[in-house]
Amino acid sequence: MTAHRLDPASIEIIRRRLDAIAEEMQAIMLRSAVSPIVREANDASASLFLPDGTVLAQSNSLPLLLGCLVPAVGRLIREFPVAAMRPGDIYLMNDPYDGGTHIPDVSLLVPVFAGEEVIALSATILHHQDMGGLTPGSVPTSATEIFHEGLRLPPLQLAREGVVDAQIMRIISRNIRTFDAFEWDLNAQISACRTGAARLAELAAKHGAAPLTAMLRELVRQAEMATRAAIAALPDGTWVYEDQLDNDGVELDRPVPLRVAVTVAGDSLTIDFTGTSPQVRGPVNAAPAGVMAGAFFALRAVTGPDIPNNGGCFRPLRLVLPEGSLVNPRMPAAVNARTATVKVLTNAILGALAAAAPERIPAPNAAVSCIVSFGGRRADGSPYVVTEVVAGGSGGSAFGPGVNGISTDVSNTMNQPAEMLESDAPLRVHRVAVRRGSGGAGRHPGGCGILREYEVLHGPLTLSFRGERHLTAPRGALGGGPGRVAEAYILRRDGGREEIRSKLSTVLHTGDRLVMGTAGAGGWGAPP
Amino acid sequence: MTLEIGIDIGGTFTDAVCRAADGSFRLLKVASTPDDPSRAVGHALERLLPGGAAEVGRFLHGTTVATNAILEGKAAKVGLITTAGFADVLELGRMTRAANYDLIFGPQTPVEVVPAERRLEVAERIGPDGAVLLPLDEAGVAAAARALAGQGVQAVAICFLFAFLNPAHERRAQEIVAATLPGIAISLSSEVDPAIREYERTCATVFDAALKPVLDAYLGRIESMLAARGVPAPLQVMHSRGGLLGAAAARAKPIRLTLSGPSAAAIGAASVLREAGCAEGISIDIGGTSADIAVIAGGAPVLRHDGSVGRTPVRVPTADVLAIAAGGGSIAWLDAAGGLHVGPQSAGADPGPACYRRGGAAPAVLDASVVLGLVDPARFAGGTMKLDAEAAARAIRDAVAAPLGLGVEEAAIAIHRITNAALAEAVRRMTVGRGTDPRELPLVPAGGGGGLHAAAIAEELGMIRLVVPVAPGVLAATGLLEAPLEHDVAQGFFRATELIPEAELRDAMAALTARCTAAMARDGARPEETEITAAASFLGQGHTLDVAIPPGSATPAADIRAAFIAVHRDAYGHTRDAPVRLVALRVVQRARPRGVALIASQGAAAPGGERRAWLGEAGFVTARILRALPPGERLAGPAILETIDGTLLVPPGWRLTAAATHLLMERLPA
Repeated sequence: MTAHRLDPASIEIIRRRLDAIAEEMQAIMLRSAVSPIVREANDASASLFLPDGTVLAQSNSLPLLLGCLVPAVGRLIREFPVAAMRPGDIYLMNDPYDGGTHIPDVSLLVPVFAGEEVIALSATILHHQDMGGLTPGSVPTSATEIFHEGLRLPPLQLAREGVVDAQIMRIISRNIRTFDAFEWDLNAQISACRTGAARLAELAAKHGAAPLTAMLRELVRQAEMATRAAIAALPDGTWVYEDQLDNDGVELDRPVPLRVAVTVAGDSLTIDFTGTSPQVRGPVNAAPAGVMAGAFFALRAVTGPDIPNNGGCFRPLRLVLPEGSLVNPRMPAAVNARTATVKVLTNAILGALAAAAPERIPAPNAAVSCIVSFGGRRADGSPYVVTEVVAGGSGGSAFGPGVNGISTDVSNTMNQPAEMLESDAPLRVHRVAVRRGSGGAGRHPGGCGILREYEVLHGPLTLSFRGERHLTAPRGALGGGPGRVAEAYILRRDGGREEIRSKLSTVLHTGDRLVMGTAGAGGWGAPP
Repeated sequence: MTLEIGIDIGGTFTDAVCRAADGSFRLLKVASTPDDPSRAVGHALERLLPGGAAEVGRFLHGTTVATNAILEGKAAKVGLITTAGFADVLELGRMTRAANYDLIFGPQTPVEVVPAERRLEVAERIGPDGAVLLPLDEAGVAAAARALAGQGVQAVAICFLFAFLNPAHERRAQEIVAATLPGIAISLSSEVDPAIREYERTCATVFDAALKPVLDAYLGRIESMLAARGVPAPLQVMHSRGGLLGAAAARAKPIRLTLSGPSAAAIGAASVLREAGCAEGISIDIGGTSADIAVIAGGAPVLRHDGSVGRTPVRVPTADVLAIAAGGGSIAWLDAAGGLHVGPQSAGADPGPACYRRGGAAPAVLDASVVLGLVDPARFAGGTMKLDAEAAARAIRDAVAAPLGLGVEEAAIAIHRITNAALAEAVRRMTVGRGTDPRELPLVPAGGGGGLHAAAIAEELGMIRLVVPVAPGVLAATGLLEAPLEHDVAQGFFRATELIPEAELRDAMAALTARCTAAMARDGARPEETEITAAASFLGQGHTLDVAIPPGSATPAADIRAAFIAVHRDAYGHTRDAPVRLVALRVVQRARPRGVALIASQGAAAPGGERRAWLGEAGFVTARILRALPPGERLAGPAILETIDGTLLVPPGWRLTAAATHLLMERLPA
């Protein structure tokens, strides 16, 4: 047998094929899932991996989830060596202390076979509507330990040669609020993974497993080289950026400091969180998987989107995550509200890098993905949980003003249409508006936040509100002004007004209203 | 003798075809006139009808005017009236950005089409069950209309929450705006896109309103031109789902014209396939900067309901055409790690590929085609344009071959293989990605580049048949001749099927059918075909699948549920016996033209010698060159058929058979 030639055309052809497979997987999840957070907000992601856990391709979805699949897949294959996997096997996990990110995000993996050999892995991660715990939606802002946050699934074999383990499903069914939706969305994940596996198997059948593997490894090598070249083009040095979270969700008057030092040395990049707050009581601690997602995003954004998106991009990166800190907590710290933490730290990494590449990096965005969950029972007694993700603005940049009300950096979720929300839950939406004037002033002003107002039509319901930037404003860049801080309050039916200090879990009754405005982003350059 | 004329306006060329009753035809390509596209129509008419126009029985038109007006910001100044609290829905959109890893990006919604000062709110509210919660503030509507008029708007879009369930407030608002601003163009969301999700519905409604003055003026110019030339036939226009509408109906809902051209080409492909005895197939129309892929099933283009214009969602039924940035002008380039890529940047028509010698130095796919002997530099575009083979080779050597340490031909092969793979990938997305096996389907190549890449795409996907149109370069224009007159009407429901009384649904079907028939009658036609489809989902899902309802069904609700459960398994690989939601009901009616197919002109096979050419898997071979292949004759590869209208590669192992209406190219069993 002659050795397969690694010609440039074949490599590029395979890269396009992998991207298309990941997109097909994503479409299956988005279109056949039932939870509003998946079907409306697109809070799910698909990736393909080499058997050693190196990412090959990712769907164009949320950078946050894509980054989080990497450690999950790594953990699953440590527990279940690929050599022992069989066709039809399915593996899953969600434990934030064992490779996961937060409990609602369940990672699922299906091996890809060429003959008897595993040649790749097909994986998805999807935010399930409810995984149990203190509040509907499993993102309780008052959680102080992981046991408040829902059902932890360690690395598990869900199906053996095509047969799903009914015992695992029974355990899950006894521990979560909307098992029907869980089962449905899990099927969407399985269907997506199987489709991805089938497509990769076809590719192996066509090219031969060994030549395909050689080409896949070459793709990873090229991405690493291109990333190293892009890092080497930055000036060497160390830059520090300090910021803080409003609070930890439990001790509302105490800000949580965050510090990052970014070092460019030759063709490698070190991101060091030494000096960041120790882990906190509330649920804003971020499991390393989420922090890695933020670091991956910053790295890719600064090295350029032209580089093929695979595990090679991440090889030049070193992360320092002090143990027992906000970004690498020890058991049993609560971690469900890590999105805001990841967004603030992603902004901090970019803020540090802005010193090295001021033209390429905009002013800080609002660093907000405010997550609002409503859960209760409809008038007919049926349970519901709906989750909203509300963005702030994007920062002004050298090239123009920021954008009002848009998902930034690691998040890229969609909002809930008012018509969908009102059809799904006993709520009325009174306002969906740009929060005018909230963007920071500047030669290129920052984007504004979003105003939303909801009325409860049939209470009681449990509200869980995870905001950020209520107390600390997003900064401007190069003389630009800060964005305006977020604000939110509850208007009780009797006229009482209760401010939300960034994070809150509470009960709303019929006639109560939630009014919220997210933060604006920083402006770029001194205002004229 | 009665003549039928089809004229399709594209970005670079305006294509025209004139067919006589015996199937003989004349083709014409004239340069498009983007400043006023109707001028090119005039140029074409002048040359097609130098004598008189009295014999023109049908005049059919496909146009990119609607799409271009939106993409180039040339639509009319439009104002928007929304439910109080929701004026910014259009600006905020769905909150997502198109590119994940771009740090710097602009607005992702059509905020520039209706900036904040032209988005006004009025008090009113309809609930999620269609009930009126707050009556319409009629004085507020009049005040909003006056305020918009004060800003000089030429059109008004009205989009209220849940209007797709209860259009009463929108209709009353329309009356008030019309009374306040007589003659102004108005579009209602409940008519343009009666479906849930307010952002998407608002986009379609705003675009529809903004297009009304533009299309009214444009169609008026064409009509006067036809009248001035004495053309007795009424103007009919191609709409996005692949049918024709009378000009009046097109003016009433211009958003339906956004995919006019590509859907005409898909109809053309469907009709060529029909002549070849096929009801299913894939068409690929490859131009200079992009390629359009469409799927034909059941003799007609497959449709989609979630299309877009630019990056803005426009949910009107359209032919499901996938456009990708790959064509003759796509540029080959190297990334920092030496990875070779082709496109999406294109050299376009100006400066064009290096071989045009108009200042373009970057190597394009056409340059690779010249280097590989696929295109004769002396006979490009029927010999109207001379290409520079030296410049093509130089560009490839400098930008690709030398840095990679490859020969020029080797580099050109790599460029072609990547392009072919990108095109095959797009075909795969439209087939395998939707559960269809492409190997069983014929491929219809069209456009200037269709014949250059079709065999390679077929080989990549295991397809064994190509059906090549008689006039592949003007497929959209010929498609116009074959399209049915077609009207459709829809109604939103968004209710579980078990909660809808069967009688209510039967009545709704009857009422929609009557509305559709009335629209057909206004275009002087009686419906020959009636299709009723339901868009349905499981309760809780957000995306729908279409199921057909038998026209005389006594239990449509039960039929919809049963059919949906089955269709869901086919589409997504899993299903369940669960409540099903009827999201919308749609009725489509058609009347088909009686024309004959285009017949290729008779003439002897014209040999053009032979040359060395790279024909895909076979590598470099000596290919026979032919300039024509008369009906009944056969030609075995390796060969290249060079007609005025395009170049068709016939690699070894393929055989070409000419029929009167098409060429059939088959892969011989190995």
